[in-house]
Order: sequence, then structure tokens, then C-alpha cells
Amino acid sequence: MLRAGGLTYNPAGGLQVLGGGAQQLSCLHTSASLESKNWERRNLKVYPPQLPNEQRRAAEIHHSRRQIKYSKDKMWYLAKMIRGMSIDEAIAQLEFNDKKGAKIMKEVLLEAQEMAVKNHNVEYKSNLYVAESFSGKGKYLKRIRYHGRGMFGIMDKVYSHYFVKLVEGSPPQMEQKTSFDQAKEYVQSLKNRTIIHGL
Amino acid sequence: MSVSLCKVFPHLQNAEVSLDVQHPVPLFLPVRTKKRYFIPPAVGMKGKGEENTEAKARAAGIVFRQQYFERPINIACTAGIFDPYVPPEGDARLSSLSKGGLKQRTEQIRQSAASQLAIRKIKEHDSEFTTKDFSERAQEIFIEAHNCLTQFNKEKLHSLVTERCYPEMTRGNRYKTICWRFLESLEPPRVVHARCPDMVSKGNLYGQVTVRMHSKQTLAIYDRFGRLMLGSEEQPKDVLEYLVIERHLVNPYGRWRLHGKIVPSWAPTKDPVIKTVMIPGPKLKPGEEFDALNYSVPKPEAVQWNK
Repeated sequence: MLRAGGLTYNPAGGLQVLGGGAQQLSCLHTSASLESKNWERRNLKVYPPQLPNEQRRAAEIHHSRRQIKYSKDKMWYLAKMIRGMSIDEAIAQLEFNDKKGAKIMKEVLLEAQEMAVKNHNVEYKSNLYVAESFSGKGKYLKRIRYHGRGMFGIMDKVYSHYFVKLVEGSPPQMEQKTSFDQAKEYVQSLKNRTIIHGL
Repeated sequence: MSVSLCKVFPHLQNAEVSLDVQHPVPLFLPVRTKKRYFIPPAVGMKGKGEENTEAKARAAGIVFRQQYFERPINIACTAGIFDPYVPPEGDARLSSLSKGGLKQRTEQIRQSAASQLAIRKIKEHDSEFTTKDFSERAQEIFIEAHNCLTQFNKEKLHSLVTERCYPEMTRGNRYKTICWRFLESLEPPRVVHARCPDMVSKGNLYGQVTVRMHSKQTLAIYDRFGRLMLGSEEQPKDVLEYLVIERHLVNPYGRWRLHGKIVPSWAPTKDPVIKTVMIPGPKLKPGEEFDALNYSVPKPEAVQWNK
């Protein structure tokens, strides 16, 4: 809710503008722009030919969808869910999820899989796993939300982007830490403490 | 809730108002505050029709020049290979030393009358055209063009290869690395066929000459990640090719450029790609099952095609 407030008025000399201090040069970024499609540009990187004795480099496919009519926070839950899954598992989980973003994410994954087989020389379409998956804020549209007594608020029509990176191969095994291991580590950290300046 | 501030003129208030002043002295002057709230710009615009702006501009008297939507196009090459050369079967299998081979070799282009006519027409426009020189030049153009392809030198490639051949050579290759080497030529290149078609209007002559080449080459294509997709760098292959070289004869700045290749119907099949590819299976009716044992992969029919 907004209220139009008053200015500080100094009768002696004009309106005082509270300055924001000198701009620090350390926070200058050179390539800031709203339409920069850096994620898609990662697909255009070409590596030099590999020698026959080197290990075969795994193919990486970057894909994204922009301006999805969904909240980025709600999208994050789904993105976190499929991180590290193999692509078949991820598609299966998203197909039976009730959220709106799940249908869109499934389309994005299927598109990426098809792109991988067609354009990026991936041999088996099931041999992919989700290496990175996250959501970002898109460009919002602003509207007015009317309140009582002549007050108004600015309503944001939220849009989000969704980014995914598929890598060829089987998904890496995450080390499962048992509770006993964690307890052992805690006890060890207690034992490793040194008392400085002690007698 | 806008608060209107009153600007007070202290000197006017304290001053003694003289009696002979006619106009009333303003004691309170309302002054607007700075706009502090934010209204999104989408509120103001509701249905701005595009015809309105056009009609208004016309009514105001602004005259627009007539917009032409055509662009002049310069055609510098033909769209295909006219009257393509049909290479005889078993062209490369017979060596020059055997009787049959000698017979084949002695079948010169003098047999084909149309080719002779075409060569005569070409000699009208380009006086220094000889079949012997030309075949060597053709091989040079071929080698240069493929070297430019490996280095992706687009400008040079455009001058060595016609506009019809360029997309065929470079489609899909931008994010791949191509390693190609020309080892040696097994037989001297020969001009086997010539035609002089004219495009669109009569007199707009293009010369197309087919050159037969037998050589040893190595080809290796790597994909975006540097993994081998096709061929190998060490293993050379014997290649028999029929190249079509074209030139726009009427144009004084025309150059002989590679226009395409003819692949005969009896050509041996190429090596398969290293990865496994899925091919679409047969269309099944709702109750049927796919019988893998009795199913044979359909082979494409052997037809001569131009590349």
C-alpha cells in the first residue's frame, strides 16, 4: 500500500536532496542487460578435436524457456526436485506432479532431449541426466491493485525463466551420509579444539 | 492524501500594503508537491488502434513516399545441374592397362555432340579455354574449396563455390570441426561432359563442365565436443568423383566455381556414422506386435543424384 508522503522542505534554501554517496567502482558490471541470452550461448561453444587416447568428453546441452507465466519461487521447488535425476526419472516425476510448472518443465526437458539427439550428437536419448536446473526472475508486468479509501498498490504479474543443463552419462551417485557418520564427525570436531593462551 | 504546502512570502506579509495598490496581494499560493507515487504506464493506454495514427498523419498532410517491397536480386549461378552426365557402370574398376579399360579411356568427349557444341560456345566467350588446362584448374579449385571449408574461410569459399553449392557444403557444419586432407591424385582429372544452359532469358549463358577425378583423401569430422563422428584421420580412401564446375559466361567478371557433384547410382555405400541411430519402424495396426526377426530394414533404391 502506498501513501504519497511529503518532502523535507527547508525554508531557508530550496529542497534538499539526500545524496546516495559516491558510486563505488567495484560494483560496476560491464555486460549487464536484460535481453542477454547467455545460457543459450553456452550451446555454441566448440571444443577442439580430442586425441584418441583422451577420455571421451561428455556432451552438455543447455536449454531454457523464457517468460513462463509462473512464479520463480514456486518453480524453484520443482527445479530442486529434479536436480541430479536421470532424464527419464525426471520426466516421469514431472508428468505426475500436480503443479502448473511441472507441465512446462516436462516440455522443456523433452525439447532438450530431442535437441541433444538431433544437434549435439548424443547417441542414446536415455543416457542423459540433469546436471543443473534452476529458475530465474523474468520481466514483470505492473498493474494497479485498488484498495479502499483511494489507496492503491502496484500488482506484479510475475514471469519466470527456467534453465536446465543436461549432461551425457549416468547420474553421479551422491554420497549418503548416515547419522552415525555425522555424529562421529561432530565428536571429532569437538576433540580437535585447541585452547589457545591456556596454561 | 496529498498535502498542499503553502508558500509564504514573508516580505509581502510583513510589508505594509500601500493603499494605492490595485491588485489583491496573494497571501497563500498553492504549490504542487513532487509526485511520489508510481502508476504503471499500462494504465493509461487502452486500445491504441494503429489505423488512428495513419489516418491522423494523412489528415495532417504528411505525405509518405510509395514503399517498394521488391528487392533487386542478382543471380550468379543456376539452380541445378542441367542434363547431368550419367557415368558408365564400372568406371573406376577397370584399370587403364586392360583392354576394356583402354576402350573406356579412349571414349573421349568427342563422341558427345552436345558437349562439343557447348565447349565451342564456351570458347566463344572465354578464348583461353582448353580441356587439358581446365581439368587441372578444376582439381585446384576443388582442393582450395575444401581447405577453406576446414578453416571456415567464408569469403574465399564464396569465390570458389557457387551460391547453390555453398549451403550444401556448409549446412550443419558450423559447430563441427572438419579435418580433410588431399593426399594424391590417382589419375589425371578429365573433362567428361559440358553443357551451356541459359536461364530466364535467352542469351544469359552459363557454362557447366563435368570433370572426373580419382584421388586419395582422408576425412574426419568431429562434433562440438571434439569427439570423432565420421571417418578417420589415418585411413585414406580412394574417391572417384564427378565435379560440376560452372561459370556465368556473359558476365566478364564471372569465375569458374564448383557447382556440385554427381553421385552415380552404382557408387559404393559410404561408411556408417560412428554412433547408433534409431530409424523409424513400420506402422503397426492397433492389435499388431512388432516382429523383429522377420523385419528387414528397407534399403533406399540406387538412383543417381546430384549433390
